[in-house]
Amino acid sequence: MIICPNCKHANMDGALFCAECASQLAGKDLITQNITTQKFDRANEQRLKNDMYQPFDGSDAWGSLHLLDTGQVLPLSTRNEFTMGRISEGQPIMPDIDLSPYQAYAAGVSRLHAVIKRDGSRIVFIDLGSANGTYINGKRLTPNVEQVLNHGDIIALGKLKLQILVKNA
Amino acid sequence: MASNKPDHYTTLGVFRDASQEEIKRAYFEAAQRLHPDKNVAAGETELFLEIQQAYEILSNPKRRNLYDATLPPEIDVNSVVKHETLFSRSNLVKLGEAQLIYMLLEVSPREEKESLPAPPLNICLVLDRSTSMQGDKMDMVKATAIQLLRSLRAEDVFSVVAFSDRAEVIIPAAFNSDKKKQESRIQMMQTSGATEIYNGLKAGLQEIRRTVDPSRVNHIILLTDGQTYGDEQDCLKLAEEAAAQNIGISGMGIGHEWNDIFLDALASKTGGSSAYISNPKDIQRLLVEKFNALISTYADEVVLEFKEQEHVKINYVFRLQPEGGSVAIESPMRLGPILRDAPLHVLFEFIVDSSTLEEDIVSLLNGSLKISIAARPVPVPPIRLNLKRDVHTNPSPEPPPTRILSALSRLTLYRMQERARSAADSGQFDEAVRHLQNLATHLLSKGEHSLAKTALFEAENLEKMHAWSASGNKDIKYHTRALLLGGQKEKVK
Repeated sequence: MIICPNCKHANMDGALFCAECASQLAGKDLITQNITTQKFDRANEQRLKNDMYQPFDGSDAWGSLHLLDTGQVLPLSTRNEFTMGRISEGQPIMPDIDLSPYQAYAAGVSRLHAVIKRDGSRIVFIDLGSANGTYINGKRLTPNVEQVLNHGDIIALGKLKLQILVKNA
Repeated sequence: MASNKPDHYTTLGVFRDASQEEIKRAYFEAAQRLHPDKNVAAGETELFLEIQQAYEILSNPKRRNLYDATLPPEIDVNSVVKHETLFSRSNLVKLGEAQLIYMLLEVSPREEKESLPAPPLNICLVLDRSTSMQGDKMDMVKATAIQLLRSLRAEDVFSVVAFSDRAEVIIPAAFNSDKKKQESRIQMMQTSGATEIYNGLKAGLQEIRRTVDPSRVNHIILLTDGQTYGDEQDCLKLAEEAAAQNIGISGMGIGHEWNDIFLDALASKTGGSSAYISNPKDIQRLLVEKFNALISTYADEVVLEFKEQEHVKINYVFRLQPEGGSVAIESPMRLGPILRDAPLHVLFEFIVDSSTLEEDIVSLLNGSLKISIAARPVPVPPIRLNLKRDVHTNPSPEPPPTRILSALSRLTLYRMQERARSAADSGQFDEAVRHLQNLATHLLSKGEHSLAKTALFEAENLEKMHAWSASGNKDIKYHTRALLLGGQKEKVK
């Protein structure tokens, strides 16, 4: 028997979703598990670096976002504007930077949460009316208003914290 | 002496260890289909003779033994289709209580998509022309029927039947017909009378039988906007007859007065499902979509024949794609078609009784998949499906496969809606309201704001008036079903 943590309904053993309230009962931390193993897996880390992260020197990345919880790095290169959010199944919304592998759902990241934009030497951040808000160094942004970002600023999308590092800063 | 001819077992479409009973049945089925009095396509008489020869040998145990001795060993790999089964957990657990296990079955063509043949169509459009169809709905139906007529290939057969309390054949099923004349026949359709689906379905089946042919995709599309009264059972019987002849039925309901439970039941008898057209504007889009799906048919039907396993209950079966829909739990189980660009995905939920868990291995399902492919006159070798799971003392540490999780996360919403509905039907309004509120919570978290709103609105309706709004239950049902498909499509991308 599996007791649903949400509604205390007694579900049959082997149930994956609560029959009463549809809460997920198993495999919930699937994604997190993958990340923690990746962190210790040298081979994976290597691949991660090759695929996603190009170091500043010699690459065209103009900046990068560091996930404070997991230490992973998302490079910002080849274009000047990125939408950020999480891809959710059954939805046609495709943010340029998908945060769903980093527990974005649990952290309250909206599907289309924010935009990061390079405008000349200036880097700006815009909250797109997200449900749980965007914070820069702890200060909540007004939705749809540009906010200038500086090297080392801490951005929070809901509870997901990222640090922005800017090249040549 | 090597020959390319299939062995007698393949000709009849049975396994080598088939019982005399099974051989007899396979022979009767094939003979009915290919009898010289009925068959139309070239080469079918020869095929009929081969089947007779096969039966003569295999039905006689002595001759069968002699024949078996000449056969090369059985190759277990199916040359035509491939299938995959995925379980929610790798083993069952020794426990003093019943437990659940899920299985995802995927069946797809083995060949490359491009090289798959496109079978000709034999389609009958059965149109409701009762008074309520007047105006927009009828105009859209006419325009779409004409558009479909024009888009046909030379080898396709297209017939149209209109019905109210009587049925009238607007376009008879025939080859080489005069399209100009047919268009004007469609234009001249008038609305009048009440909705009696049985009459329409019967006439439609009659038309489609004129040109029914196993090498075609034979399909009836039923379009209605109203309830039929008293003839539901007869309709279901017709659908069973149609299914036995490999004629599929799809139902499309316009507006909110039609009976979706009935239309779903009718279509699922043949492995099809129903669609909901909330706005007459969508008639064209949905009919054309349906038509395109039929044109891209690879196998018109995958049928699961199985024996009930003791202490294991098949609790719920749902087709995730190509077209979402519940599957009726009976043997033979009509799972649905395989399209050239969309394999068949079906999710099974088993309940395993605690008494079997004393054993070391539990058999969940024992049966075979039979696949009829319109473009192949020779029967496809059946696929044996013997699903077993080990029973261990401890649950397996592996998490369930993500494919099952993601399918189930969406299916759970659909089932929530089903639960709300059956609770409301049996007068348990509190329970129905609770289910709808839970559904709304999950819809919100998935970003389905407008559908969540509809669910909450209906919850309020049920609470206050103990009734659904006019279109509420259909809106919720078909939209939660559409979420299932949306997810699938995204995966294909």
